[in-house]
Amino acid sequence: MISLIKDFFSKFLKDLFKKKKHLRMGLYGPPNGGKTTLANRICKDWLGEEMGAVSSIAHETREIQIKEQINIKSKGKELTFNLIDTPGIATKIDYEEFMKVGMVEKKAKERAKEATKGVIDAIKWLDDMDIVIIVLDSTLDPYSQVNITIIGNLQAREIPVLIVANKIDLKKANIKRIEAAFPQYDVVGISAKYGKNADEFYEALFVLAG
Amino acid sequence: MYADGSTDLLKGCACGAKLFFFIRKEKLEEQQKLAESIKLSQEEKIQMEQDVLGMLTSRMDYDAPVVLDLEAVRVLRPGQYELDLVHLFQGQPLIYRLEEGKYVIDLAESFQQLRKNV
Repeated sequence: MISLIKDFFSKFLKDLFKKKKHLRMGLYGPPNGGKTTLANRICKDWLGEEMGAVSSIAHETREIQIKEQINIKSKGKELTFNLIDTPGIATKIDYEEFMKVGMVEKKAKERAKEATKGVIDAIKWLDDMDIVIIVLDSTLDPYSQVNITIIGNLQAREIPVLIVANKIDLKKANIKRIEAAFPQYDVVGISAKYGKNADEFYEALFVLAG
Repeated sequence: MYADGSTDLLKGCACGAKLFFFIRKEKLEEQQKLAESIKLSQEEKIQMEQDVLGMLTSRMDYDAPVVLDLEAVRVLRPGQYELDLVHLFQGQPLIYRLEEGKYVIDLAESFQQLRKNV
């Protein structure tokens, strides 16, 4: 009985404070899915400025990046949120992969170390997210340990999720494969780089935020 | 390698296994000669490794699931890491394995996580 009362009050207080603050929207996913490109697209569309650097080399984002008070509008509706771009989540990080694209050994090892810390930080931050956007590369097989672990955990935590199938401008893109892999969530196909289907993405954000 | 009639064949080897691979003496000598005749430089060995790995669909198997023991992060060597995502997502103590029998535990982080879970 006491635990029921305790649960009720903790939920009541949580809800009370939740309504007062802006939504915290996290961008999660494996490296090179296009999280920062999407963050830049959102920031460029609504703030007129970019958020972070993008690169074809994996693990470019190795620290949490936050952009506060992004206000988006569509069809008379308005949504304000803090956007949190997170480092790509991976199970293996190998400096040799960075050396293959021309990085010197010392720098590659440092990058690997920072990327590892970035994964730990990204996972730690998950508890603070109100909604999560999973950004996946639609040209790749979605059935990976990283994708399944992230999505499985979000489902267990009951955090609202939207899956973005990014890079639909590429020939190999396959949104249906992602939809089939995670049928419990809405999937929006976009090209964050070129802004293709961005409107549909923003519409989906309104639905997600309720 | 164990000689014919070795008692180890009955008792088992140092690792405890009792399954042995049999190779004829002539074949063994033949293989040893062949191995000795091929002297490879370090560059050649690296090139061979790269060639074979290049033939594989994926080099380091990034898709293979990583399930570690009690640690969340395993350092294979400088710049190479394996992360147990399930371990990290569950908020279990943050333990790094540097090598066999050498661990570092992030106590501050682990206690913070414990407080969160209570």
